[in-house]
Amino acid sequence: MPSASKFCKSFWEVFPLVSLSIVTFAARVPMHWLLLGEAEEGGFGLNFSLLDTNLINLVIIIGVLVYFGRGLVGKTLAERRSQIEAAIKEVEDRKKSASAALAEEQQKLAQAKTEAERIRQNAVESAERARTAILEETEAELVRMQEAASQDITSQQERIARELREVIAARAVAIAEDRLKSGLNSDAQQQLVEQSIASLRG
Amino acid sequence: MYLAEPLNYLSHIHHLPIAELEVGKHFYWQIGNLKLHGQVFLTSWFVIGVLIIAAFLASRRSDRIPSGIQNFMEYALEFIRDLARGQIGEKEYRPWVPFVGTLFLFIFVSNWSGALVPWKLVEIPGGELAAPTSDINTTVALALLTSLAYFYAGFRKKGLGYFGNYVQPVPFMLPFKIIEDFTKPLSLSFRLFGNILADELVVAVLVLLVPLFVPLPVMALGLFTSAIQALIFATLAAAYIGEAMEDHGEGHEEH
Repeated sequence: MPSASKFCKSFWEVFPLVSLSIVTFAARVPMHWLLLGEAEEGGFGLNFSLLDTNLINLVIIIGVLVYFGRGLVGKTLAERRSQIEAAIKEVEDRKKSASAALAEEQQKLAQAKTEAERIRQNAVESAERARTAILEETEAELVRMQEAASQDITSQQERIARELREVIAARAVAIAEDRLKSGLNSDAQQQLVEQSIASLRG
Repeated sequence: MYLAEPLNYLSHIHHLPIAELEVGKHFYWQIGNLKLHGQVFLTSWFVIGVLIIAAFLASRRSDRIPSGIQNFMEYALEFIRDLARGQIGEKEYRPWVPFVGTLFLFIFVSNWSGALVPWKLVEIPGGELAAPTSDINTTVALALLTSLAYFYAGFRKKGLGYFGNYVQPVPFMLPFKIIEDFTKPLSLSFRLFGNILADELVVAVLVLLVPLFVPLPVMALGLFTSAIQALIFATLAAAYIGEAMEDHGEGHEEH
């Protein structure tokens, strides 16, 4: 390790000659250093040697990564975010329009309901009206029919009475004729005539 | 003369016992008879912590229109979900999103932590901190979990009928299918481990040779391959799970 870090330092000083020195130095590297950990026999610790820890290269590569990666990843993420935003916005718009349509339809439903209620009430009313009208009419008809019937009855009674009278009269006449035929001989006739004359004299 | 030294070094390697060919020493924790690679645990905990904190921050205050970290994590989740859906299929993918997502996120953050976090700032008693996935034990664990997962998926979906998969489309395939069960975790673990370790070694060697600026392209390439490896592992895991659940009976038209 010591030789390696010494090499590194000297390398740092002659850095402008890098291309020329690589070959030379490459062969000179104490290769057993490759068996990592040979020099690390101690416990835990920190090693702040810039070159040993490859810190400069790491910082550079992290810097490059952050510099380019930030743009790329940032763009991708921003795109994703805006896509999600757009999707959410679209969905929300759709929800809004759907709820507006729902409200409208609900209003229509309420309207239709009141309309239905109105129609029903109208129907009830007209039914009531029709009912009363029919009732009245029927009652009037009833009265009329009753009157007609009673009239009819009276006239029938009169007719029957008349007929009865006629029949009775006819019968009476017939009976009387019978009686006359049977009971009216010349004596009785004589007597009757005298009686009648007598009553006429008075 | 200069050339001789590396060659000597190479011959030196061959004399070492096999275990020493593992790169670096390990910071061993002894638990019972087990020797644990402590540095892997430390970095794994770091990665797990990062993920948990990110998940916590992202879900702490969830807005309807996501911003900041919530937006970012949702984007990651969408990515994982699409990946799982693509490999497993619309019908079955849902329960497997957490598994595939955990694999992807853990491997991805592990790989990138190895490439971006200056672990060498911290010295530990043995070995050094690096990406957890550069240790074969981690990747083998992940690969075996994947194997368990696809067996579980297959048996849950089809019961013993899962073994029918082994003779599809022709019974001739049986030995190959059996071999596949062993090669799948093998290839998964070695691919990931090899790539990440190679990455870190290349960077380490280059840093050793030329400490400044020259390793930068390799490091950038490392970032790229690290991400790709995470993607490959997650995609393959999802593909294996999807394959285990695939319908062979009458489902051919859906392919």
